Amino acid sequence: MISGCGVTGAGLVGIGLRAPHVAEIVATRPPLGWLEVHTENYLGGGPALRALDRVRREHPVSLHGVGLSLGSAEGLERAYLARVVDLVRRIEPVLVSEHLSWSIVGGAYLNHLLPLPYTEESLALIAGHVTEVQDALGRPVLVENPSSYLRFHHSPIPEPEFLAELARRTGCSLLCDVNNVFVSCRNFDQDPAAYLDALPAPAIGEIHLAGHARNEAAGRTILIDDHGSPVSDEVWALYARALERFGPRPTLIEWDTDIPALPVLLDEARRAEAAIAGSVTGEGARALAA
Amino acid sequence: MLSLREIESDLRVALLGGDDAPARGRVRGDGLEPGARLAIYRHHVVTTLTAALQATFPVVCRLVDERFFAYAADRYMQAEPPSGPCLFEYGAGFPDFLAEFPPCRPLPYLPDVARLEWAMQRALHAPDATPLPMHAIQGAGSELAASLTLRLDPSVSLLRSRYPIDRIWRANRPDVAEPGVVDLAEGPTWLEVRRHEDDAIFRALDPAVFAFRRALAVGARLAVATEEALGTDPAFDLGAALVALFDEGLPIALGGIPPTPGDHPCPSQP
Repeated sequence: MISGCGVTGAGLVGIGLRAPHVAEIVATRPPLGWLEVHTENYLGGGPALRALDRVRREHPVSLHGVGLSLGSAEGLERAYLARVVDLVRRIEPVLVSEHLSWSIVGGAYLNHLLPLPYTEESLALIAGHVTEVQDALGRPVLVENPSSYLRFHHSPIPEPEFLAELARRTGCSLLCDVNNVFVSCRNFDQDPAAYLDALPAPAIGEIHLAGHARNEAAGRTILIDDHGSPVSDEVWALYARALERFGPRPTLIEWDTDIPALPVLLDEARRAEAAIAGSVTGEGARALAA
Repeated sequence: MLSLREIESDLRVALLGGDDAPARGRVRGDGLEPGARLAIYRHHVVTTLTAALQATFPVVCRLVDERFFAYAADRYMQAEPPSGPCLFEYGAGFPDFLAEFPPCRPLPYLPDVARLEWAMQRALHAPDATPLPMHAIQGAGSELAASLTLRLDPSVSLLRSRYPIDRIWRANRPDVAEPGVVDLAEGPTWLEVRRHEDDAIFRALDPAVFAFRRALAVGARLAVATEEALGTDPAFDLGAALVALFDEGLPIALGGIPPTPGDHPCPSQP
């Protein structure tokens, strides 16, 4: 699986490439396994796309989308999907990923990864959309677990089981965002370790790590997945458990608000590399050697 | 109707500031008011879309201050939410929205400043294009040349305003510590906006050159564009205007489909 996704060996850890760091990364070529960008930022022309072309010459690139709106009841936006297909052909990314969420209703894009009720109806709909995207791209995609702040009254399927069944039906891989697992489980008084245990290990193709904020609302602490601080100690501990359960996986450090200097991100990446090295025993070592 | 479709429609209303009662009825409290959980999502939608508009319209934001800008942005996103996920494409309708927004009436130049910033945003994200060399039209006889149309660089917009929006923009750029004072009577202005290397730039044009280029930009034949320019200034020099046009690398192809709109003048006529 690891060699299959093109990210190998010591190059397992990457960072999310954000605009303030592009020039420095192009100039200094820091030792990173790969870089991940948000697809939507590169669907125009001009300097942004030219910079991505330059980055691509030195580093494997992963395209991480927030805009396909896989869970939209009104169906996928075909014209938008065609633009994503064009970018994938141009960049030839090592990984292509999206989210278990929706953002578009009535033709309006709400700029948030909005929650779905986990029902048979949602599962059939999103499985159809994942298949449509994979057919258009001619390759499998990864689907990421969202961070959640609300649940619907009628949502009978637990999220990890919903993701497992989605992967089984469509052949997609799963992007396990360990911070999102932690945030969602804390917000609903659930056990994040049990969530990880319920995911199908062979389907996990990528891991995300990021920081979160703590907000107080009516005497309750709500964790917000704001990607604006270092990965918390609790999330590092959960990551160690994820590595133990899934084996070494391509891992990304994401930082989107209050973006720090590049060395701060590189330090986080080194810490993830150390966690992977510490986890590599037995089966994990064989997977890495493969 | 799929029940998922109804849930998504109810959430849309709540997240864009409408009645959240139907959405509240679908959401579990889990220790909070369901409305408080919806508010977490609404907060993200509003703040990120406001930030996207602020990034595209920084001078408009400075002219009205951040609080008023956030208020106008909130009203705008209710009336006209983004139609797609590329937020650098969001805001095409914001200048017209400001023109119709009653609290902005004391600032009659504001919509044209917004049009200038939108044209700069379009320029920044327009596809790269290769300029057409002038010899591509030099072989044509005069009759054929008169019926030519030219496709211009897709980053180009031509904006006319009765206000000195170029000076207003420069005096209120976010990187200028103290905004300068501009006399509104210094208008009108005829501007060309385009991308130069990695930046969106603009400059003032002579009114006849502006009329010539604007006619070409909307797909007019060379003869028609020339008439437009001569109508503006009988001393218009076609030869010099063509050399300048090609020297600046504006034409990218002969004939073909007219460029995508955006090359329309500001509605306020000088």
